[in-house]
Amino acid sequence: MLSLIVFTPVVGVLLLLLVPGSNHRAIRWIALGAALASLGFSLALLGYDPAGSEFQFREDLAWIDAFGMRYTLGVDGLSVVLVLLTTLLSVVAMFYSFEPIQTRVKEYYIALLLLMVGMLGVFVSLDLFLFYVFWEISLFPMYVIIGVWGGPRRIYATVKFVLYTLVGSLLMLVAILAVAIAHAASGQPFTFSYEALRGFAYADTLQALAFVAFFLAFAIKVPMWPFHTWLPDAHVEAPTAGSIILAGVMLKLGGYGFLRFSLPLLPDAAVSFAPIVIGLAIVAIIYGGLVAMVQPDLKKLVAYSSVSHMGFVMLGAFVFNEQGLQGAIYQMISHGITTGALFLLVGIIYEQTHDRLIEHMGGLNARVPRYAAMFGLFTFASIGLPGLSGFVGEFLVILGAFRSNGLIAAAAMVVVIISAVYMLWMFQRVFFAVPSDWMRRFWPTLRDINRNEWIALSPLIVLVVVLGVYPGPVLEMIAAPVDRIIEAVNGAGLTGFGPLW
Amino acid sequence: MNYINDLVTILPEILLAVLILVIITVDLFISRANKWLLTPLTVGGLIVVAAALVVVWDTNESVYAGMYVVDDLSVFFKAATIVIGIISVLFAPAYLVVRRIPLGEFHMILLSALLGMFVLASSSDLITLFLGLELMTMPSYLLTGLHKTDRYSNEGGLKYFLLGSFASAIVLFGISWLYGLTGTTNISEIAASGLEGRMSGALLVALGFLIVGSTFKIAAVPFHYWTPDAYQGAPTPITGFLSVGPKLGAFALLVRVFAEALAPLRADWLGIFLVLTVLTMTIGNVVALTQVNVKRMLAYSSIAHTGYIMVGLAAFANTDDQAVAAQGIESVLFYVLGYAIMNIAAFAVVGMLQRDTRRFGGLNSFAGLGSRSPARAAAMGVLMLSLTGIPPTVGFFAKLYVLLAAVDAGLAWLAVILVLNAAMAAFYYLRVVVYMYMRDPEDEPAPIDTSPFGTVALALSVAGVVILGLFPGAVLSLIEVSAASLF
Repeated sequence: MLSLIVFTPVVGVLLLLLVPGSNHRAIRWIALGAALASLGFSLALLGYDPAGSEFQFREDLAWIDAFGMRYTLGVDGLSVVLVLLTTLLSVVAMFYSFEPIQTRVKEYYIALLLLMVGMLGVFVSLDLFLFYVFWEISLFPMYVIIGVWGGPRRIYATVKFVLYTLVGSLLMLVAILAVAIAHAASGQPFTFSYEALRGFAYADTLQALAFVAFFLAFAIKVPMWPFHTWLPDAHVEAPTAGSIILAGVMLKLGGYGFLRFSLPLLPDAAVSFAPIVIGLAIVAIIYGGLVAMVQPDLKKLVAYSSVSHMGFVMLGAFVFNEQGLQGAIYQMISHGITTGALFLLVGIIYEQTHDRLIEHMGGLNARVPRYAAMFGLFTFASIGLPGLSGFVGEFLVILGAFRSNGLIAAAAMVVVIISAVYMLWMFQRVFFAVPSDWMRRFWPTLRDINRNEWIALSPLIVLVVVLGVYPGPVLEMIAAPVDRIIEAVNGAGLTGFGPLW
Repeated sequence: MNYINDLVTILPEILLAVLILVIITVDLFISRANKWLLTPLTVGGLIVVAAALVVVWDTNESVYAGMYVVDDLSVFFKAATIVIGIISVLFAPAYLVVRRIPLGEFHMILLSALLGMFVLASSSDLITLFLGLELMTMPSYLLTGLHKTDRYSNEGGLKYFLLGSFASAIVLFGISWLYGLTGTTNISEIAASGLEGRMSGALLVALGFLIVGSTFKIAAVPFHYWTPDAYQGAPTPITGFLSVGPKLGAFALLVRVFAEALAPLRADWLGIFLVLTVLTMTIGNVVALTQVNVKRMLAYSSIAHTGYIMVGLAAFANTDDQAVAAQGIESVLFYVLGYAIMNIAAFAVVGMLQRDTRRFGGLNSFAGLGSRSPARAAAMGVLMLSLTGIPPTVGFFAKLYVLLAAVDAGLAWLAVILVLNAAMAAFYYLRVVVYMYMRDPEDEPAPIDTSPFGTVALALSVAGVVILGLFPGAVLSLIEVSAASLF
């Protein structure tokens, strides 16, 4: 089943290769069909039994025997929700792209489908080597998407994006090898199996160095301050669908990496480094918020708000208690949906005006009321209004932070105010302020959300509300993985190996 | 009886020599219009040689009074040589014909170089080793200068010849010192002559000369200055061959001399080797960063790849654990094979864009290739990713193998330097992708060569790059057996 989910897009790619590049209609529908099929298969994962064994839907095949690399797939609750998020957002992104993307359509959908393969593979791999392969596979389609279909400075942005991520991931590769070799040195068979490598007492220095390497890879992806500088560039230049996937799923690869690998594999190091990580997370939360406040560009504002929100995820992950971790995961999902939707909405305006400057807008509420309503919905979700999905995650993270340390929680609370400031101020300037001269002169006609865009948005609208009022099923799904992480970290006695500094 | 047996073990070499003679003869009797027939003839002949290699696999015999050894290691090197030969022969003709470079000579000279590599790989005596080395490099000089009417080709050939023969002399001088110290030129006897811990001035001289001479042959920094000019001057598909063929031979030499004859002294040569490795990787990459000519960029990057391969040798030298040491050698073998396939193909794509003889392989020729020739652009894209070391390609697995060997041997810091270098290399490899997909074609785009041989070879190489990257298992087990014959 998992292989079906991951590799159905490859079937789509193969079919696309047979279609002539000029037949845009067929290309779009084949790509969407493959993505929908993958989404359909992924719905079967809802049958995951939270009370059952840890990893379900397992697949295990021999791959490269000489090095103990195996093709092992399996999902726990954490993977399930992220796989569903990925398939859903991919479908949304593909469907939304029907109109905006008119050049090199075939290559575009091939890239999107390959991107899907990489991301899904990351979430379901239980072999560290396989994980690494998928991790890298997910990088290059995005490189092409930004570089070919992006904005004016796309080449600069995409090269920066790739080089940043590549440095991190290559260091992670060395760490993966070091961990596997250390495990094998104790007389165990040489393996990259996650389940075997986890729970092994690695030497302190190895843990510290490996943690730093993993940290760099994941922190660049999340991105954590001060490794975030690629993100605004990439987002601003990326085409809308690229931004949706980038913010919605690719940032989560980093968060997932921390929860799946850094914490359970290297618990002592995680505990020891937690104060630093929490510190960086708080800086990211506040810094992202403050910088978002002064952005003149609508898309860049949303991009910086991502830095802030992902800071919440990191904070929740490293306070090591149930609420914090659950909140972190919930925040990842919610952020994927709300930010994905916000980028989509920004894209709708941008496609018409090729302009994103907030000062050029104003009074849109009167001209495109439905658009304004939807934008408002996701703005509030992003701020964390109770009843919408953003609230649950933020609330849980702050709760977890309080249990850990009141000061940390207080610092995180500040940002709830900051985020309200920058989001609402932006909303006011774009939708309610007096229309700018610029807009009167250059944007004589604006259309509201059209049918296709409604279809693309509708699942996100439903989810943002449902996840806000009824978080139970998701929390239940992620409860067991969270407990396991806490168990692993508690095994380290919450002491680690003492400060290294 | 013994005589016959000796002949059978060198059957591949004999067949290859016969093939050379056949090519010379046939070339005399066919008309200019039919010269293209030489290519399938050569490929067919090489396939026959490959079949003979299967026969001698697993012989593991020393013949001709210990001068020549047919062990699995040598057979592996020879198999890789055949692969290199076949791809090179398929790629080159289209480029050569446009420039009126005679095909008969090309095939004959290339095959002679392959024969030299065969001898080099199999030598168990320093004399044979030197013979093989010369038999390999002499044709290489000729190949570099094969484009007689082109000044750059002349310059490259002359530089390569002068510096190369100088290096050969240095190697020979080192060999003579080693003979003076041990009283033998036989590799296994040198290894057993108890050199360990008997470091002396004379031994240092021998070691120094051998290191300088052989690192010159693999183009390691600081002995790399001949590479860019020789590589840029040579006809492009031949550059592809030069960047891997003689390098493969030189690594065979390094393995024979340093990992076999001088293995007891590895603690002594390791230090200098580490320094050279780090320098080679880093300087090769830094200089490649600034190149705007793809051919020259690939030339410099081949220096960087030399550095990556040397990491495997360093891993071999840095450990006493036999399994780990074997892993070091295995990683060298795998890397050399993988690198050979991807680099020849990459040079060949550059060559395909030089159908117009006034083109020199600048980045601009690649502008917009993604829309002009999607299949070739995709192939080049895969090759660039492979050279960068991105899964699922052979380049990735080769790097992984080297990294694994390094970390296992306790050289994690070297592994970190390697990956940082790989990230740096990503910049200039991906620049080619940027030009192919993210820029518009020039006003007068370079015509593309679409000859069938080249297309087939490109398809085969790319398939090889991907398949070896995804399922290296079969080759890995061969390599394991091959490396085992050293221990």
